[in-house]
Amino acid sequence: MGKHDDKFMFRVYSGIVIFIVLVAAIGPFLCTADPYNSNMANSLLAPSADHWFGTDKLGRDCFTRIIYGARVSLSMTIATVVIMSCVGTLIGIISGYCGGWIEMVLMRFTDMMMAFPGIVLAIAIAGVLGGSVVNTVLALAIVGWTKYARLGRSLTIKLKHSEFIAAAVTNGTKPFPLLYRHIVPNIFPLVVVTAAMDIGSMIMEIAGLSFLGFGAQPPTAEWGLMLNEGRQVLQTAPWAMIFPGLAILFVVATFNLWGDALRDIMDPSKSA
Amino acid sequence: MMISSKLKKGITAALAVGMTTMMLVGCGGGGDKKAAGDSKTLKFGVTNFADTLEPTQNYFAWVVMRYGMGETLVKFDEKMRSTPWLAESWQVSDDHLTWTFKIRDNVKFSNGNPVTAEAVKKSFERVFEKQNRAKTFFEYTEMKAEGQVLTITTKKPVATLPGQLADPLWLVVDVTAEKDRDFAKQGPICTGPYMCESFTRDKAVMKKNPNYWGGPNKVEVPFETVEIPSIDDPNTRAMALQSGEVDMAVNIAAGDIGLFRNNDKFHVDEISSLRDVLARVNQRPDHILSDKKVREALICALDRKNYNEVVLKGTFKEGSAPVPPSLDFGFDQIKNPDAYNVERANKLLDEAGWKDTDGDGIRDKDGKPLSLDFVVYNSRAELPIYAEASQADAKKVGIDIKIKTVDYNLLDKMGINGEYDLLISNITTAATGDPQSFLKGYWYSNPDGGNPQNGSGYSNPQYDALWDQLEGEFDPAKRRDLIIQLQQIIMDDSATIIYGYPITNLISSTKIKGAIMHPSDYYWLTDTIAPAK
Repeated sequence: MGKHDDKFMFRVYSGIVIFIVLVAAIGPFLCTADPYNSNMANSLLAPSADHWFGTDKLGRDCFTRIIYGARVSLSMTIATVVIMSCVGTLIGIISGYCGGWIEMVLMRFTDMMMAFPGIVLAIAIAGVLGGSVVNTVLALAIVGWTKYARLGRSLTIKLKHSEFIAAAVTNGTKPFPLLYRHIVPNIFPLVVVTAAMDIGSMIMEIAGLSFLGFGAQPPTAEWGLMLNEGRQVLQTAPWAMIFPGLAILFVVATFNLWGDALRDIMDPSKSA
Repeated sequence: MMISSKLKKGITAALAVGMTTMMLVGCGGGGDKKAAGDSKTLKFGVTNFADTLEPTQNYFAWVVMRYGMGETLVKFDEKMRSTPWLAESWQVSDDHLTWTFKIRDNVKFSNGNPVTAEAVKKSFERVFEKQNRAKTFFEYTEMKAEGQVLTITTKKPVATLPGQLADPLWLVVDVTAEKDRDFAKQGPICTGPYMCESFTRDKAVMKKNPNYWGGPNKVEVPFETVEIPSIDDPNTRAMALQSGEVDMAVNIAAGDIGLFRNNDKFHVDEISSLRDVLARVNQRPDHILSDKKVREALICALDRKNYNEVVLKGTFKEGSAPVPPSLDFGFDQIKNPDAYNVERANKLLDEAGWKDTDGDGIRDKDGKPLSLDFVVYNSRAELPIYAEASQADAKKVGIDIKIKTVDYNLLDKMGINGEYDLLISNITTAATGDPQSFLKGYWYSNPDGGNPQNGSGYSNPQYDALWDQLEGEFDPAKRRDLIIQLQQIIMDDSATIIYGYPITNLISSTKIKGAIMHPSDYYWLTDTIAPAK
């Protein structure tokens, strides 16, 4: 019965995820307002029929900015997750497959990177590189790949000792096709599940860096940046902070639940 | 059961948001339980930049004065005129070189030692010994002390000497007390109504000075203890005031001031300050803004009235001339050739050859986009707002502004090295009651690094000549006239963007009275601040 529930919830969450992605992809074409068009006479208007989520300090429409922000946040997040999972997994596979001194060097380097507290290191890197969308993605990817390296390595080592790999080697399969045809496809599902579960926390970290001024720079419509701009008027114009906050909450919670559901249906221990 | 366990993450997230909201609301709602309230202790929320209380270090003397410890010979009144403080009177000789100050004979340091001319002289010598900046105020050939009479003979005539001596750097300390007291950590021995009990960067505690001379109005020190927490974030400061954690606070920002205006629990004292928010404009030959037409166009494109009155909720006055209207240097008679006019901005840019040939909304010329670097620092809340508002307005005429946020210390260096197109800062124009040195800083020619503050490459021989004339002029009417001419040159050359003039505020609970903001931001905690009853 558990399996049916899992599948049902996974479909529900996938539906919401698709909705969010659609909003990010086509939302900007549906919005009539320009998220960067400021009309200072409309500074900090309360939510109304004209401005569903109110306006910010420069009189820009918050609803439009949040819709555009979905695109910025999601594309940054996906770029980060793709970069760190690919790079990390590749390093993991190489060290797991080659073994010896290559493994030692790569894994000690991974350990070293893991010794730093993640977000602090990301702030330092983003701070040194200077705040921008690209640098934020880089900073988070530099901090986040280690988990995938560990995962990739342990899965590769496990596979290396399995019988079908031994059979392939005996049949004369060369190392590269072996990795490409046998190891990568077997590792892939677990990496994807891990990456899916990372999306939520990456959205948070990107928003966090922007909130602190190390991520997206004004006038970019980015949720973390909007939160920081709204912070100064928290008591007099709370909508400038509440709606970007709710957007982050909604998207992060959805992606976390979706990641969990994906894990549950892929979990071999439950399929029995 | 399955569902509830999987929803856990979502619910946890929702709870976190809920609790954060409650926490913030809790701060705002505020009960009286931790209020200072009692009439013996005052709590005062401030911003603080000082690491120590050594008055000759950096600009830390400002803090010594703001916290009610240090006093100078001369004090500025609400119109920035020099009035007697520790000095009773002063006069200058006919050759404009020798100044005689008569020191009041009833003033004592907080340790009971009398303030004699000799003590003042020792204190001044200590400043010259420890702080290089002292020489930029005046240089002396002789300083003589006889009883209560101090005579200072300067190298060159210094027209504004009394005003110079009102700068906190010249607050009078008891040099003889230094041998068994660490001024930096324990605070100097001065003459003000309060003396230092303890000091850290985060919090200072002041005690009543038992030997206080009473000030010019002969008053008792109103509070036994003053606690001064440093609350650098303006939103937090506003919340501390709302919750009763502090009885008064300085510089509540635009976003929060509405909570205190028209609120019968608070008294808002606002005054147009001596400060400018201005953007230096880099005019070096290799920069886009070396073209005067582009400078004019940029300034015309900025709707400064809106920034100050609407976006900043009137906590700033609309900028125009370099010297703010709080000082009487011809604000109303200086013409502003670059008033807000989008049409003119577009026309000027067309004339200068900047056209949008690739249709991306940004003008370009010879394949180069009209893109400017706008350097800003965040510790003053209004600066990023001006920067973003300018970015939005400039885009409307096809100018791309890239905002670069840097640390304040870096900003200073970038200003000197000219590493910017536009660089915004909030600066004081008349630290000594007179804008003479301000008018040198960003505009007097700097061909060989002799005037490092001018990193913009701006140079106008006529301006330099007028400033030199101002330096040697003693007649107030002629000085005023020269200062007006200097400002008009800056305006006509479109040399600088003057965004606005801050209106500073001091907001106090109605439980106390007498909390008044002065135009010069040296006098915060004074002997007039007392319990309301």
